[in-house]
Amino acid sequence: MALTGLEIFKQLPKTNCKDCGQATCLAFAMALATGKTSLDQCPHVSDAAREVLDSASAPPVALVKIGVGEKQVALGNETVLFRHDKRFENPCAIAVSVSDMLSEIEVYDRVAAINGLVFDRVGQLHGVNMVAVVNSSEDADRFALVVQTVAAASELPLALLSDDPNAIEKALAIVSAKKPLVGPANLANYEAMTALAKMYEAPLLVRGSDLNELASLVEKVAALGWKQLILDSGARSVSRVLADQTQIRRQALKRFRPFGYPTIAFAANADSMQAVLDAGVYISKYAGIVVVDSIDRADILSLVTLRLNIYTDPQKPIAVESKVYEILTPGPDSPVYITTNFSLTYFCVAGDIEASRMPGYLLPVDTDGVSVLTGWAAGKFTAEKITEMLNSCGIADRVSHRKLVLPGGVAVISGRLEELSGWEVMVGPSESAGIPAFIKQRWGA
Amino acid sequence: MELIGERINGMFKDIKEAILNKDAAVIQYWAKRQEEKGAHWLDINTGPTVSPEEQPAVMTWLVQTAQAASTLPCCLDSTSPAAIEAGLKVHRGQALINSTSAEQSKMDIYFPMAVQYGARLIGLAMNEAGVPKDAAARAALAMELVVNADMHGLAMEDLYIDPLVLPANVAQDHGPEVIEAIRQIKMLASPSPKTVIGLSNVSQRCNERRLLNRTYMVMCITAGLDSAIVDMEDDLLVDAAAATEILLNRSIYCDAFLKTFRQR
Repeated sequence: MALTGLEIFKQLPKTNCKDCGQATCLAFAMALATGKTSLDQCPHVSDAAREVLDSASAPPVALVKIGVGEKQVALGNETVLFRHDKRFENPCAIAVSVSDMLSEIEVYDRVAAINGLVFDRVGQLHGVNMVAVVNSSEDADRFALVVQTVAAASELPLALLSDDPNAIEKALAIVSAKKPLVGPANLANYEAMTALAKMYEAPLLVRGSDLNELASLVEKVAALGWKQLILDSGARSVSRVLADQTQIRRQALKRFRPFGYPTIAFAANADSMQAVLDAGVYISKYAGIVVVDSIDRADILSLVTLRLNIYTDPQKPIAVESKVYEILTPGPDSPVYITTNFSLTYFCVAGDIEASRMPGYLLPVDTDGVSVLTGWAAGKFTAEKITEMLNSCGIADRVSHRKLVLPGGVAVISGRLEELSGWEVMVGPSESAGIPAFIKQRWGA
Repeated sequence: MELIGERINGMFKDIKEAILNKDAAVIQYWAKRQEEKGAHWLDINTGPTVSPEEQPAVMTWLVQTAQAASTLPCCLDSTSPAAIEAGLKVHRGQALINSTSAEQSKMDIYFPMAVQYGARLIGLAMNEAGVPKDAAARAALAMELVVNADMHGLAMEDLYIDPLVLPANVAQDHGPEVIEAIRQIKMLASPSPKTVIGLSNVSQRCNERRLLNRTYMVMCITAGLDSAIVDMEDDLLVDAAAATEILLNRSIYCDAFLKTFRQR
């Protein structure tokens, strides 16, 4: 996004010296904003100003990658405050903590459990993305040992959490090839931490005690030449985290460079129900990484599901998988209903079949997730496509009859569908709410 | 889209007489009437017949009389800073000052005044050299207004820049330049300044005035126009503003969108 005239003008020396060829600095700012000249034309602009103006072309939230290979986590590149404005780009990473106070066996068991936190959602596998090793022992050697164990037991990218540069250095010496997230860098240790992160090219977690300190700390770290950063405002109560996350995203979108990085949030509540709810807030409100302490599948499933929903593209219709769905417990004589795989359409029909109390099979034809009439108008819901699904999905082996119910809105294709498929087509009601009455009167009559 | 009702202006005969006779009923009729028609602001202009010394007192009376009958804020329309300030002193809510130009001597008066009274300010994209010819010159003057707003601490959303519309019969070539100027003004700062036009100017002494006004307004809104000083008696114009809001996805569609636009 280009800078506005006012933003450019504020960075100019305001000498009105005309060396740039324009009558005034203001005119030069206008010419720059409209792309009619270049910044090089002004010999008096300061390096700081040049940097500000150059960075304007960078995205508002930097892209930061943690880990390597297939399980690498990419965060950032976000451009909106609300998902309906465009979409949220990179799903936040869920990290589970592992304390280095645990025994070798306990670490091994916990990491095995974390590796298993993978779930099938709408036909894809989704799960936990990172393991966060926490240096609670404050013993650098102990920390390095546990990091080594975790790295050997899991392919997930790591976060190495210790404010002791010595501990981070020992751990990095072992696992730097995996490009783990390291930190936190704080006011006391940032020089050593930044040097380590830079040397091993590892993304760095920067932690301030509040937003002001965080902003100045990020500027110091950036001045040392490292910009693969993850932000932590230090807030831990939900209300404070919500406020800080919102500020960081809002200011980043306004091109406040120190906040132009993904964030990390910690959902560490002793009450596991509360911890899940807190993590839910952070997933919804801009966190790049959410660190949780639970390895309970019930806790993680709800978070994985929420993340999947929040990070779907609102501009694309949501589709259900195109396959045979059993509603209630149908038998060989139960009716077969045809619809499309637009999730809204599917759930309307499924709900109304259930309301009829007569078990049935529901076949959502793959229309790229558009509704019955949209699919029909776009040539995606045709007699040919329905026939193809009838033949390929195996429904013929599951019922003893050859009768299907077609949505009333596309009654016009019933003749061709009968010819092509060889199935008897019953034209159902235009609205699925009419299914209960329709099926009682017509099925088996 | 904010509509500023143009009717309480001493250029109209009934308003001029009402001012002379201190007849509050006429002022209040138009205040209420324009509010019912969906106006968001009431323009208040004493007109040219009031002498410079009397301007502040007349402005005070008009503002108080109009606001007694209507809940709307006023757009204080005068070339006299004293009259504007008199109006600001008695105004209830956030007023809109109409207007300053991009002349430094005027900006030095009106920007501090707007900040002092918490008012918004219309800035005309013209200076002592007159009305600019093309879009780029209008945008350059708008930039002067933007920089002054920033210097005085007036919120960018409280600055309304008027790129100055001229009649289609005598200055036809200005029409597209103003539309382009609106587009450029919206990009001068972030958040962007607002834009406003005196719409009826586009059709001065033309035939089919309402058609010209309505069509030009829709074109300007598409380019980023935020408000206009208009004839609220023109129902089709208000309908067009409502429809444009819907088609630009600025208001959520409902079947009663014409009604909801007027009730906001």
